[in-house]
Amino acid sequence: MTKPNDLVQGTLDLLILRTISLGPMHGWMIAKRIQQVSREVLQVQQGSLYPALHRLEQQGWISAKWAESETGRQAKFYALTPEGRKKLEQETANWSRLSAAINLVIEKA
Amino acid sequence: MRVLKQAGMYLRMLLHRGREAQRLDAEMQFHLDQQIAENLAAGMAPEEARRAARLSFGNPVVVREHVREAWLWAGAERLWQDVRFAARQIRRAPGFALVSILTLALGIGANTAIFSLTHALLLESLPIPNPGRLVRLAMDFHDADRPSSNNGALSLPMIQMLQSQSHSFSGIFGWSVYDFVLKDEGVSHGRRGAMVTGNAFQTLGIHPVVGRLLTPADDQPGGGPDGWAAVISYRLWVEQYHADPSIIGRHITVTDHGVTIIGVAPPGFEGVIVAEHPDLYLPVEFSAAISNNEKQLHRGWGGWLTAFARLKPDASRAMAQAEIRTLFPSIKTAMVPPSVLHLPAVERLTLDVDPARSGWSTLRLQYTKPLLLLQILVGVVLLICCANLSGLFLARASARQQEFAIRGALGAGRVRLIRQLLVESLMLALPGALAGIGFAWLVGPWMLRGLGSSQAEAALSVRPDFAVLVITAAVACVCALFFGMAPAWMASRTDIESALRNSHPCTSAGSAVARRIFIPLQLALSLMLIVVAALLGATVVHLRTDDTGFHTKNVAFYIADFGRLPQKGANLVALYRRILQQMEEQPGVDSASTVAVLPYHGWIAKSPFTAATDPKLSITRPSDINVISAGYFTTVGTQLLSGRDLRNDDSDLRSCIVNQRAAKMYFPHAAALGKILHEVDHNIASSKTSIRDCQVVGVVQNTKYDTVRESPPSIIYFPMSAQSYRLPNMYFAIHGRSIAEAEAAYHKVIHEMAPASPETDPVTFQQLMNDSIAQEQLLSALSGFFAVLALLLSSIGIYGLVAWDVSRRTTEIGVRMAMGATRPRVFLMILRQTTFLLAVGLAAGGAAAFFAARSVSSFLYEIHAENPAVFLVAAGVLVIVGLIAATLPARQAISIDPVNALRSE
Repeated sequence: MTKPNDLVQGTLDLLILRTISLGPMHGWMIAKRIQQVSREVLQVQQGSLYPALHRLEQQGWISAKWAESETGRQAKFYALTPEGRKKLEQETANWSRLSAAINLVIEKA
Repeated sequence: MRVLKQAGMYLRMLLHRGREAQRLDAEMQFHLDQQIAENLAAGMAPEEARRAARLSFGNPVVVREHVREAWLWAGAERLWQDVRFAARQIRRAPGFALVSILTLALGIGANTAIFSLTHALLLESLPIPNPGRLVRLAMDFHDADRPSSNNGALSLPMIQMLQSQSHSFSGIFGWSVYDFVLKDEGVSHGRRGAMVTGNAFQTLGIHPVVGRLLTPADDQPGGGPDGWAAVISYRLWVEQYHADPSIIGRHITVTDHGVTIIGVAPPGFEGVIVAEHPDLYLPVEFSAAISNNEKQLHRGWGGWLTAFARLKPDASRAMAQAEIRTLFPSIKTAMVPPSVLHLPAVERLTLDVDPARSGWSTLRLQYTKPLLLLQILVGVVLLICCANLSGLFLARASARQQEFAIRGALGAGRVRLIRQLLVESLMLALPGALAGIGFAWLVGPWMLRGLGSSQAEAALSVRPDFAVLVITAAVACVCALFFGMAPAWMASRTDIESALRNSHPCTSAGSAVARRIFIPLQLALSLMLIVVAALLGATVVHLRTDDTGFHTKNVAFYIADFGRLPQKGANLVALYRRILQQMEEQPGVDSASTVAVLPYHGWIAKSPFTAATDPKLSITRPSDINVISAGYFTTVGTQLLSGRDLRNDDSDLRSCIVNQRAAKMYFPHAAALGKILHEVDHNIASSKTSIRDCQVVGVVQNTKYDTVRESPPSIIYFPMSAQSYRLPNMYFAIHGRSIAEAEAAYHKVIHEMAPASPETDPVTFQQLMNDSIAQEQLLSALSGFFAVLALLLSSIGIYGLVAWDVSRRTTEIGVRMAMGATRPRVFLMILRQTTFLLAVGLAAGGAAAFFAARSVSSFLYEIHAENPAVFLVAAGVLVIVGLIAATLPARQAISIDPVNALRSE
């Protein structure tokens, strides 16, 4: 199986970081939230979500903690670290710049 | 900061891998359950909810794999898996592992031993700050006949003059090795030491462990503020004085003079002359006290100090050399007496600035080329080892084809397979390297002792040190890569389908071809080693049996230390004669005499002569000279050809004896007997030239003088007289029925007749001879050992190949025999492959050996590098060994029972 290409991976990272910037969530909730907020357009596959979450955790942008979920079971909650918050700002800025550029090309070219 | 956190997390997760895996499962299970709950809430039936959830989740194993891959330690985990798998494989085939490790141990061990020698002698930098800035100033006479004479030493005034005139150096110092007698609290020991100029330690830049080091203030006539000051070595401080700090200020006696110990040199400091291990350092002015001759110390001409200097930070060696080149002519004029100044040798004299970051050593002069040759030879042995191992590994890899095929089918990439096999190779290489280091550790000193050179043995420590260990580890890794690569490559190219389909593990054509290349390669290299070893061995045999003009058995030399006896001049000569007479009367003594210059001792005395019949008195030719008593030729076994020996009385003082070569040189057209020779004597002190006459009364056969390899020079022998060269320190030469009897005679007579003089240790003629050919012996012994090793390895390689071939073709052999092939025919068929390989190996090896022999021709003596006998014998040995190695497994082939063979399919 091939690895997801960089653009998609980077975008997913941004989405995850943004989603949990509002507060700690577990993986299921993150996927559901992204799905909801994007009005069902973006459906994150578990096959890409969990590798992304673990990678972000390894790199230190998010931290994880096992806690009791709303159903009473133990679940792994992810939260944003200070470095992660900075990274989020960076990535958001990058994304704006990138999408603005793409828009320009589509309209003008 | 982030990196630290990451590293911490990495380590933590590495240690709790199992727990992390469990947690991942729990996390995914939670996700799945949430999805199921959601589906149920949406109204699906429980079964459908579960199914839908699982479908949307995807393959959990794959997800898990992806997550694991995201984990940072995936690489380390894979490596650990490889290591464990390799360990299992090794445990399953312990014989194979043992053979591999042993082979590697031999190859790497031999390399390590030789490299530690090379490192200790040639490469190791001095333990001083900035050793790269140290240079040696050496005088070069450009004398092609005797390149190592004088060792380029300078005199003290010369060094002082250089110091005052040159600007390239921050300090120039002189260093001379000397054997002292150290007496402390009544106990005397001979200790090797060095006399150094006052600024030596400052220029070197080392610091004492306790006390202080010598300074120019200590290097004054009569000693410095502490009288005669001495620095002792760290080793002596620990061994003799048990590292007692109160040793500073201790009064000891060195060569009958009172000396104060002022400091201890740092550990690991062994002076600048490599492999001398001095224990005692004294200022050069002390030499005037020892020889009782202050004037001699300040003589401009007569080098005895090896000069070293430290370059100034902004000067380069080239700049310094240029400066010295302009300064030296005026220094020469100031130092050299006018009578000698215009001799061609002195005109040619230059002062060279040589790099000295690893100090300097006469041993180095002797052993550089041999050590380099040995390093190459041992490298070839390692190459053969690797080829052997590669063959072995290929065989094993070809047997594991099915395993590789399955792993490939399960998704292992080529890189993964190659890495796995390389890890296996490494896991055998590292223990092999360790075993090799242990082997070198044990064998090293034994190897040195076998050298026969007492000097080298005392000087060099062959224990591997840190740099050597690092190099060894690197070599091991390179080896592993080298011999592991071929099978790894082959394994990664397995055709999965065909391998899985075949029930009987067969081999790919690739591995067979590779093995067939390795065997001739090994054979060629072995032939090369055998030829070189044979040539070097023949050299040693020739050196030993060459007619040197001496009989060396049972002859011992003792140096006389009569400097402090009351007898001087003619009285001393008479004393010598009386002693000799007494010695000859002792039981077991055949002949006793004295001689000034020992054969093979490295000391050369030369003087210019001309025949009295020669009208052109100005043209003189130099000859080696020696001063002897009557009976010397009998003692050492030199034949008298015409005339008579010298007489032991004063009437003979104007006589001399010449050897054949001298006779021909000075009197080419007539017999030398009865003719007069003029010795043109340049008296350095008075700068006057005087001519001394002597009459030739006898002619002896040619003998060697300085080395065994030289062609016999012309030698002129003078009788002992009051003005003789080195009269108080002549050597007694005693030829007895055994060395013990000679020794007994010496001690008895000296005790009786010169009790005031210290008794000295003997050096036997045999030992002198051994020392002078030590280098050749080392080469011959070691190259022989390597040749045997190479033969052994090659034969193991052949054995392995044939055995593997037989096992591979068991079925085929069974069929052939069932169909009527006789046993001899099968035998020949198996051997056919080997003979073909032998032929190829011999052909390639012959060419390689030819070039190898040419390149070692400079080491040979009286044997031609292209001697065909040597090549034929070497080829013969190789063929015999190869055939024997092949015969053993081939015999197994013919004892195969065809029924069993066919059944095993």
